[in-house]
Amino acid sequence: MHEPSPFLDFAQDKLQIGALLFMALVYSLKIRWILKFPAGRDRQAPSGNPEKNASRGAWYSLLNIAMPWAMPSTRNRPLFYAQFVAFHLGVAASILMSFLIPYAPRTIASAPAVLALQVVFAMACIVGILRLYRRIADPYIRAISSPDDYFSLALLIVWLGFSFLAAPNRPAEGERALIAYFLLTAFFLVYVPFSKISHYLYYPFARWYLGKTLGHRGVYPVQRQEAGA
Amino acid sequence: MPPARSYKAQKVIDRFQQKLNRQAMLSLAACVHCGLCTDQCHYVLANPGDPTYAPAYKADRLRKLFKAHVDWTGRLIPRWVGGRSVYSDEELEELKDVVFGKCTNCRRCSLNCPMGVDMASFNRLARGLLVHVGVMPEGVAVVAKDQWEIGNQMGVLKEDYLETLQWMEEELQSEYNDPSIRIPVDKRDAEIVYAINPREAKYDPRTIGEAAAIFHFAGENWTMASEGWDMTNFGLFNGDDELGAACAARVYDAVEGLRGRKLVVSECGHGYRSTRCEGPNWARRDLKFEMESSVVTMLRYIKEGRIAVDKTRNPLPATYHDSCNNARSCGMTEEPRELLRLVTTDFREMYPNRAENFCCTGGGGAMSMSEYAPRRLKSAKVKADQLRATGAKVVVTSCHNCVDGLFDLIRHYKLDMQVKLLVSLVANALTPPERRIKRRPLEGFRILVIDDEPDVRIYLSKLFEENGCAVTDAPDANQAMRAIRAQPPDLITLDLVLPKKTGEKLYWELKKDERFARIPIVVVSGYAAIDHPKIDFHKFIAEKALPPPEGFLEKPVDVEKLIETVHQSLLESRFSG
Repeated sequence: MHEPSPFLDFAQDKLQIGALLFMALVYSLKIRWILKFPAGRDRQAPSGNPEKNASRGAWYSLLNIAMPWAMPSTRNRPLFYAQFVAFHLGVAASILMSFLIPYAPRTIASAPAVLALQVVFAMACIVGILRLYRRIADPYIRAISSPDDYFSLALLIVWLGFSFLAAPNRPAEGERALIAYFLLTAFFLVYVPFSKISHYLYYPFARWYLGKTLGHRGVYPVQRQEAGA
Repeated sequence: MPPARSYKAQKVIDRFQQKLNRQAMLSLAACVHCGLCTDQCHYVLANPGDPTYAPAYKADRLRKLFKAHVDWTGRLIPRWVGGRSVYSDEELEELKDVVFGKCTNCRRCSLNCPMGVDMASFNRLARGLLVHVGVMPEGVAVVAKDQWEIGNQMGVLKEDYLETLQWMEEELQSEYNDPSIRIPVDKRDAEIVYAINPREAKYDPRTIGEAAAIFHFAGENWTMASEGWDMTNFGLFNGDDELGAACAARVYDAVEGLRGRKLVVSECGHGYRSTRCEGPNWARRDLKFEMESSVVTMLRYIKEGRIAVDKTRNPLPATYHDSCNNARSCGMTEEPRELLRLVTTDFREMYPNRAENFCCTGGGGAMSMSEYAPRRLKSAKVKADQLRATGAKVVVTSCHNCVDGLFDLIRHYKLDMQVKLLVSLVANALTPPERRIKRRPLEGFRILVIDDEPDVRIYLSKLFEENGCAVTDAPDANQAMRAIRAQPPDLITLDLVLPKKTGEKLYWELKKDERFARIPIVVVSGYAAIDHPKIDFHKFIAEKALPPPEGFLEKPVDVEKLIETVHQSLLESRFSG
């Protein structure tokens, strides 16, 4: 097994740990900040519908991410939802790979594993490019986009591209892709808490509170009847 | 150097930071600008190509403030994350145009956001910030002032309200010929305290009468309050939590003061939401009494057999429009449908429906903002298309606000439809035993009026129709025979003086024909022996050995005697037949 250079060793180990600790610290502070805002209280009586209550509503809301049929906005756009899944799978796989390469390289050493990772990264990268194009070309999306929206997306596209190149994990054949991947990962971890990418931190909170209220009032889970049903 | 900030802009920023709770803060922070909310908004669908109507774009008008003053990154580098503060009164006016004029707070975008961003809630928050510094459409200011000062949003004075209740009570007593029907006011220890929308007292008191009839025939122990009777709440629309608390507290105080067991709220989406859901939060009251919508009450009465209904009295095809507040904020979607199926014969679902339904476009106080009416009506095309697709002749809703919004768009888009509240359909389908006999004695029958004088035919037809029956008429004996052969009526009124063939001859033909011999005939004739010496009906039937007619009335007829004779003849005919 080829030994990584000291710089690559630093980039994939100590730098990542440092970046992760920084991210954890900032996230802790951010959660503390969120909890500093007083939560509105629901005093109204329950809806009376035995199938709907605050707890069920909150879980329904939290699991909304896995229920594309629950909202017209996702139900009527299966391709868009598939893109969402592919993109987020790619990001999750890339984060996982940043742990596996330095600490358990054998788990992704086989050719099929590398191929699977590369397919996931390629798909996510393509989705990212499509989303960036949409953000630029669609006047509705362009009108709501901030520099951070463009930058975060571009950052992820580049990162996923290097994830694709780094997936074979063959430093003997050149370390550039791996070094770039780990540097980008570290930057990503540090930048995320300050950017829109930290939306996954808000998701459980925002969804929980909305679902709790709407469940208590009998709105969630949403009951619907479509034409022809 | 940032520009100098106006006094009002500074007040808005200060208050914004005070009013932010965790839910609002999360909604402002969580948006990823994915744009999935865009085509869920009726304003967007009716204005293709204009991104300023997109929910996320509108939400960003307030989110910019959040980014600039609250968000971590935004406070350091606001432009990077789209943050921007407000500085001038002109910017506040622009914000007003968005939050009041381009959004009805219908919450459809909120329920379509993958992140759970509740845009409608913070649009209301933004309205409240502007109202706090006096920036709002004039109509909103007027209505809010009325609700603060007079206690109801339409400025109905107490004496006018009580007079209206008295008037409705008298109407009901007359309609049902029942002096025991009452609209009790300030009765203590009633099971139900009924609160209404002031629109009912001011413009459409029939719905008060209809509800009173339902309570009466259900044998309910109920009352209305002389104070705190308006369950609507403009605080929901203008974002003023203090007004919301004051309005809700007035109603709660009235119920508690009368020691009522349950507060029943008449059909009003925002009133129901404000009184049942938001009011306790605004007023910070943990209430001991129950609250329910009158839709639930009516449904329960039918299910428990406390009132009987005949759905055939509402035969027109009907569809149901879900009020946004009922469906997306209070979860009331099934009860109105269940009720509608019990009181109409032809219910047609509208698509999309329930929590996915489109706004009537009159919500969020839009009906009080006349300056935005053209924009509202343009956006109503989405709703108009939805309505048209049902093929229904009646759109039923459970919200007075929706009634106005739908009525406006039906007129604008020239739809052949009426708008009705559920209470009107239930009251129309109500079948108290007294009603059929005393109020519409001829209901369910068909009468043929035979008379050569057009005025008499019209007069009698109208009279019979008012008493509940279907009427056809004929000017001579030949046309009459054709009508009888085509569809034998339940009763015939016959004039004896007819052109060509006399009424006597027709009478003879009918009585000789076994197919028609049993049809009761009431002779209504004005012949005088001097003018028509050849006609002597009594002699004629005696000579021909014909049975006598069921009634014989001379013109001019006594109306009561005519109706009584016709009614008796019909009942006897039905009994013997």
